[in-house]
Amino acid sequence: MSLETEVEVLRRVPLFRGIEETKLRLLAFISDRMQYRDGERLCTQGEEGDCAFILLSGVADVLVKTPDGERKVAEVGEHSIVGEIAILCDVPRTATLIASGELDVLTVNKDDFLKLLKEFPDMSLEVMRTLALRLEATTQALAAARSANGDE
Amino acid sequence: MQKSLFSFIWQFSARQQIFILCVTVFSYPITYILLELPKLIVNDAVQGDGFPRSFFGFEFDQIAYLFVLCISFLGLVVVSNGLKLFINIYKGRLGERMLRRLRFELFQRVLRFRLTHFRKVSSGEIIPMITSEVEDVGGFIGEAFALPAYQGGLLVVQLGFIFMQDPLLGLAAVSSYPIQGYIIPKLQRKVVILARKRVKNVRVIADKVGESINGIPEIHANDTAAWHSADVSDRLYENFKIRYQIFNWKYFIKFLNNFMNQLTPFFFYLIGGYLVIEGDLSIGALLAVIAAYKDLAGPWKELLAYYQMTADVGVKYQTVVENFDPADIYPVERLTSDEKVALDGDLKLSNVSFSGGVAGQEVFDVSLSIPMGQSCAVVGPDGSGRAEVLQLAAGLLSPVSGKVEIGGQDLDKLAAASLGREIAYVGGAVHIWTGTIRDNLYYGLRHRPVVPLERDGDSLKAFNRRLKEAEETRNPTYDVEAVWEDFEAAGVSDMDKLDRHALELLKAVGLESDIYRLGLQSRFDPKMDDDFAERILGVRKQLAHRIAEDKNLAGLVELWDSAQFNTSATLAENLFFAVPADPEITMDQMPDLPEVKAFLKVTGFGEKLQDIGVKIAETMVELFANISGDSGLLGTYSFITQEDLPEFERIVRIAKSNSQRPGLSEADRARLIGLAFKLVPAKHRLGVMSDDLKEEIIEARAKFQDMVVAKNDSFVAIDPEVYLPPLTIEDNLLFGRARVDRRDARRRIDEVIRSVVEETGLREPIIFAGFGYHVGVAGSRLSASQRRRLALVRALLKNAKVTILDDIAGGLTDEDKQARITLRKVLAGKSLIFGTTNPSIAGEFEHQVVLDQGRIVSNEHQDS
Repeated sequence: MSLETEVEVLRRVPLFRGIEETKLRLLAFISDRMQYRDGERLCTQGEEGDCAFILLSGVADVLVKTPDGERKVAEVGEHSIVGEIAILCDVPRTATLIASGELDVLTVNKDDFLKLLKEFPDMSLEVMRTLALRLEATTQALAAARSANGDE
Repeated sequence: MQKSLFSFIWQFSARQQIFILCVTVFSYPITYILLELPKLIVNDAVQGDGFPRSFFGFEFDQIAYLFVLCISFLGLVVVSNGLKLFINIYKGRLGERMLRRLRFELFQRVLRFRLTHFRKVSSGEIIPMITSEVEDVGGFIGEAFALPAYQGGLLVVQLGFIFMQDPLLGLAAVSSYPIQGYIIPKLQRKVVILARKRVKNVRVIADKVGESINGIPEIHANDTAAWHSADVSDRLYENFKIRYQIFNWKYFIKFLNNFMNQLTPFFFYLIGGYLVIEGDLSIGALLAVIAAYKDLAGPWKELLAYYQMTADVGVKYQTVVENFDPADIYPVERLTSDEKVALDGDLKLSNVSFSGGVAGQEVFDVSLSIPMGQSCAVVGPDGSGRAEVLQLAAGLLSPVSGKVEIGGQDLDKLAAASLGREIAYVGGAVHIWTGTIRDNLYYGLRHRPVVPLERDGDSLKAFNRRLKEAEETRNPTYDVEAVWEDFEAAGVSDMDKLDRHALELLKAVGLESDIYRLGLQSRFDPKMDDDFAERILGVRKQLAHRIAEDKNLAGLVELWDSAQFNTSATLAENLFFAVPADPEITMDQMPDLPEVKAFLKVTGFGEKLQDIGVKIAETMVELFANISGDSGLLGTYSFITQEDLPEFERIVRIAKSNSQRPGLSEADRARLIGLAFKLVPAKHRLGVMSDDLKEEIIEARAKFQDMVVAKNDSFVAIDPEVYLPPLTIEDNLLFGRARVDRRDARRRIDEVIRSVVEETGLREPIIFAGFGYHVGVAGSRLSASQRRRLALVRALLKNAKVTILDDIAGGLTDEDKQARITLRKVLAGKSLIFGTTNPSIAGEFEHQVVLDQGRIVSNEHQDS
């Protein structure tokens, strides 16, 4: 797969939806393309995060530590971006990612992503907007959950 | 050392000087006849009469006479010029020999300086003295005696001629000499003083430049470049001023001299004319005198120039030599003596005092005794006299009063041959020599050549000549190419055993794994050791086997396969399936190699690569055009630097335009191809590599083998059965590339390599290969801690009876503690003096001496 196909995928990632194609190409170029085999770890909960993952193809399991060991809580599929929180603010990984089957991933280095944002402010705006939307959704979900709890 | 240049020249080359003088004098009549003969030919042979004439019983008619005279003229020309050639070469050789002797003497004197003397002199000053400042002396030596004798002789002859014509005119001719003889030296004196000043000023400049180089990080860190620039510029101005003054005086002297010389004819014409008119002198005699006087000017000018040169070179010599004659210089025998006195017995300092000239470098009335084979801690903070006491015990410093003895031998009276072999000393500041690790490890064993190098034929002849020259100039006759390592002293029988012994010690000080890593990164020549190359190939097979068996591993590497495209390697490696024999050749240089050029042309790959290059450049230009240079993105990811970007923009524009002109230049094409060569498809994913192209590349490999690899040595084929010298040992072990598109592939594959290397026992040979690692200028490619440990191993290898360590592994960490235990073990049965700032570890040693402000405050010993 070449840059062009990577750009196609990036375009479908919500975070990058409003961003020009040339910038996506640059993002794709500065990212590392990595392949993972079934069961290989992308990252581990609690460790320092230095990159975000964009899944080009395949599925990864999201695991969280519980007193009984790691437990699968979700799955992420094609065209999703994971670990982006870690590259925007310095927090440890909140979950573990394990490849489920063959996985093709674009790895964006934290420093490079920040440099890119600095270079293209409209890209920052887009990222901000997406994050704000996500926050809004989370807030609403929280409110819904609270009111649901209150109803009980 | 000889205080004046002339005594130096006379003492070491009197015989040669006399010879030069004799040849010069001998050549004088030949030159004279050579000048007279043409006149004789014209006047006597051509215009003369009374033929035939008889000489020595032979009769000559006019033609034969002319013929004989011309032949003798030709003969004299040959003899005269041959003599000149001979004497010039003789003088040049003598000058060079004397210069070599002088320079060596100066260098040897530097080696004889006491340590304390180096606080006063700097290398920046010493270096120009030995190298450039004495240079002129060499050119002068050949002329030193012959020139004044010859020219002086000419002058006297000419003067005699004038006096014979008329004493009065003779007096007139020399009338200006007393004045010139009085004034010119006076003026020259000023030049000499200025010349001294200039030499000293240049030394300061050299010193300042040297200091700036050594302290360059400080200059950048403190933004003091302006200050240093101003400082040096000021000195340069000073230099200009002095030189300008020198010019003024020098040319004024010349002017005065010329003026005086012209003044004399004035008197000739006046007095001579008067005498002729009065009838006291014939007109012929006056003309002859004036002609003779003109001939005087030549020698006189030469003599003056010689006088100025003597003054100049003499002052240079003096200004140099006076720096090499400190009062307390060691006697030369201390260096040259090869007599080793065994230092068996107790180390004893009796009432030793020492002063380094500054507070904190003093030792007062120290007495202590350390029995042979025991250990002693010398404790004291910096400035307590600890370092000085240790250096006194090592014989590096001499006490001002008192005595330092080992086994009853006064160290101050011993030669370096005893001190440097029987005592091992590692101080706080170690020096690592520019060279390999091996050079540095065995440095302490290189006292004298031990095993001479076997030579025959031309090399023997060359060597004998070298020896003869060395003897001629009183240089040492040691052979620098011989084996110098003193195996016996190290307690081993040959180099192999010495290597092994060194390895043990490296393990003991924890430097072994560092050297192993350096070994992996180093290149080695399989011609030196077939066996090792074989074993590396063995490991390569085993690794390949292991990778083939383990699916997980197989996914981490792409092994070289002549029928497969390796996406983790560069396009160049893929296309050639070979690597340049010279590892220094970069990708950018490759398209310009003639064999590569020819190959690209024949196969038509030149065009294809150029197209790929254009595509890459186009993408780079497009991606990075709007990126600011300081973002750093370009440098990390693109194969083009920010500075090159506009250049490639231009190349792309030309390549894309349909018009024929201006077209791509040869250099542009090479750049594009170089760009394509660097492409690593798995990493760069630019979509320029189609499957068809990959096929073509694989097919072209065979062609490259036939065309280039088989025919010349500039490329080495990638072949699983062959060791590839241009690659590092590590790259040779893993016959392939760690995949760039697998996370941590490099690290994981390294672990596997390490374990296979350990299993096959290849670790040791790789470490020995690491011995050949070049440590950079003064060990700059090693870390500070590596340098210290290397110096420690160097000292331990000496196997000396007394080992003195200052501030080495004196900490409380487990690592240091372990290091001390291993050191004690290695040095068991030998005397050890351990200098430390840390009182709490003193208890580990049998004796403890505590110093404070240069005095012993406690001296204890415990039975172990």
